[in-house]
Amino acid sequence: MPPALLITSLVHSIQVGSLYALMALGITLTMRVIRLPNFAHAEFVSAGAFAALVVSIFLSRSPVVILACATLSGAAVALLSHLLVFRPMSRRKLSTYAMLLVSFAVGLILRYILFVLSDSYQLFDKRIQIPMQILVRESFIVLTNFTLTIVPVSIACVMALALLLARTALGREMRALASNPELAHILGMRVERIRSLTWLLTGATAGLAGALWGLYTFVNPLLGWLAILPVFAAAILGGLSSFTGTILGAYLVAFCENTLMQALNHYTGLTFSFKAAIPFVIIILVLLLRPQGLTGFLRQNRNIER
Amino acid sequence: MKLRSLVFVLLALCLSPVLSVSAQENVTLGVVMPFTGALGSFGSDFVRGVELAVAQMNAELEAAGSATRFVTASADTEGTPDGAARAVQTVVQTTGANVIVGPLTTSEVLGAKQYADENGVVLVAPASSGPAGGIPDDNIFRVMYPPDIFSAKAYARIAVSRGYQNVAILNLDDPYGNGLADRFQIEFAAAGGGDTTRITYTPDPPDLSSEMARLSADVASLSESGETAVLCVCFLGDAQKALQLALVDPLLGTVDWIGNEAMTSAELLEDAGVAAFLQNANLVTVGAYSTETPLSSRFAESFAEHFDNPPGPFTNYAFDAANIAMLSILAAGNDGAAVKSMLPFISGHYIGTTVQGLLDENGDQAVAWYSIYQVNADGTDFESVGLYNGSADSLEISG
Repeated sequence: MPPALLITSLVHSIQVGSLYALMALGITLTMRVIRLPNFAHAEFVSAGAFAALVVSIFLSRSPVVILACATLSGAAVALLSHLLVFRPMSRRKLSTYAMLLVSFAVGLILRYILFVLSDSYQLFDKRIQIPMQILVRESFIVLTNFTLTIVPVSIACVMALALLLARTALGREMRALASNPELAHILGMRVERIRSLTWLLTGATAGLAGALWGLYTFVNPLLGWLAILPVFAAAILGGLSSFTGTILGAYLVAFCENTLMQALNHYTGLTFSFKAAIPFVIIILVLLLRPQGLTGFLRQNRNIER
Repeated sequence: MKLRSLVFVLLALCLSPVLSVSAQENVTLGVVMPFTGALGSFGSDFVRGVELAVAQMNAELEAAGSATRFVTASADTEGTPDGAARAVQTVVQTTGANVIVGPLTTSEVLGAKQYADENGVVLVAPASSGPAGGIPDDNIFRVMYPPDIFSAKAYARIAVSRGYQNVAILNLDDPYGNGLADRFQIEFAAAGGGDTTRITYTPDPPDLSSEMARLSADVASLSESGETAVLCVCFLGDAQKALQLALVDPLLGTVDWIGNEAMTSAELLEDAGVAAFLQNANLVTVGAYSTETPLSSRFAESFAEHFDNPPGPFTNYAFDAANIAMLSILAAGNDGAAVKSMLPFISGHYIGTTVQGLLDENGDQAVAWYSIYQVNADGTDFESVGLYNGSADSLEISG
């Protein structure tokens, strides 16, 4: 494979992997704390992207304002979904499968609301109005202001979220609730408050990821849904419980979709149409061979280090 | 006796509206289009085009004292072959429609084909053009919009006339994209062209970074053996994603580009960077030639009056397809087999909003004129710079 192509694909892997990590962390968080494989997460991502688009068209072109509004919008949509649908449903003691279907339904409703709004206000396939600047353009590497926004912001948020969960009282409460909800309740933790904050955090990261993904591509109501499969593959690689595993999983999926796919195309002639199958293959392989994902591997390594 | 007469009169008065309604014969015209998914905006506009045709036809039928009225029944194809099959089945089973306007794309048409053929349902597709849909003696008629065997020739003629020795192709991996790219490769080779490479991408791609990186590598490799161009066969949303990546690529901006009709969109030029890129890349696109017929402006005005919005791209084709379908039903009766037999004759004698609907042996549009477009000097819109006559295989281009 030509070196330029290899380097370009690695840069794409890092860029896409950072975005996948940001989206996948929300899924892992919901799975651990709320115990829900939330498919509506895709629409929290789309909601953030649309908020960024609308703000950039009508209010401000400042990246900080745009990203902040997207974050808040994602958080608001997630919290509202929790308060209006997920909480009342969970009080009925529905099974995980039923809740999974509910999350599909919420996602569908949100998606079609976005479709209706896009149709009414001509917002299909629009770009977030932040001008792109090319900072480095060589045959082997291209860097734009988008690259230098997406990657550091994603990584910073992933790190901040990891720190929040590991080092703060809220993070401890979340982890306690995740490992034993009954005990957390008996110990007097404000379980509902923690759950609401979890939804807020999940939505905020999804909203931010949506805005960054929208910068990377274009905004349409299917933006989140089209990206959700590799994101779930990343979360499954992380065992749906480990944040470190999820982050590693996100970069691994992005690497497979970009660099590995590029190599397969170059050396075997496999067409890029198979790129969409890579997340499926990863999900099936992980579930077949290592259902705990990278979690066990990470724990083992930590023990060896100790 | 008086009482009995009074009761009869009252009964007659009460039943008269019912009788007049039951005397009216409602004929269902099915409409299957993508209302959701990436092509949802096209589908919604196409349905409005059909509704306008139906409203106008019903007004004429009423004025003529005819008892026949057309009603529409629509279903969403979701933009997929499976969805199209389900949509056709739903419309047929719930309303008994024998004639359906739609679906939109070739992959949807092929998805619905088996059910339509087996159940004697006639599909009148207004914008499907993929070569894979050109099948003789089936129940599918692709009216008004010419099949891509003509546009592929146009692309090949343009490429050769502009002196491109090699072409790197980026195409959608569906019957439309593959069909057009396959035909182009055949026509380009037959016209004396050099090497071609193909990058295909799945419909609705989340991003195209790998594909564009590969395209750039292909351009680098092909350029070593002669002048090279890029042929982009994409839907608008995908073209936007591709161009966003092409903008920053060190090589893709140094070669000329040829685009399919979806790229002849002023929406692409809303981004000044993209507009400048396409100007520098001397982008030429090929789109069905819009001749002005007496119906053209009348259609646009009626549409705007009905829906408070101007018609979207290609909506006139749905309007024409609905008219051809309704005229065929009126001539042959509401029966699939009879309509199948009559429709080519009606279509061949129908002058629509742009062109005569003459059909070939596959039931596809046989009159194929294409405009060649380029970005104008301001970079704000596309302007016609040439004409390609598909029937005579002749190209006139000034750009």
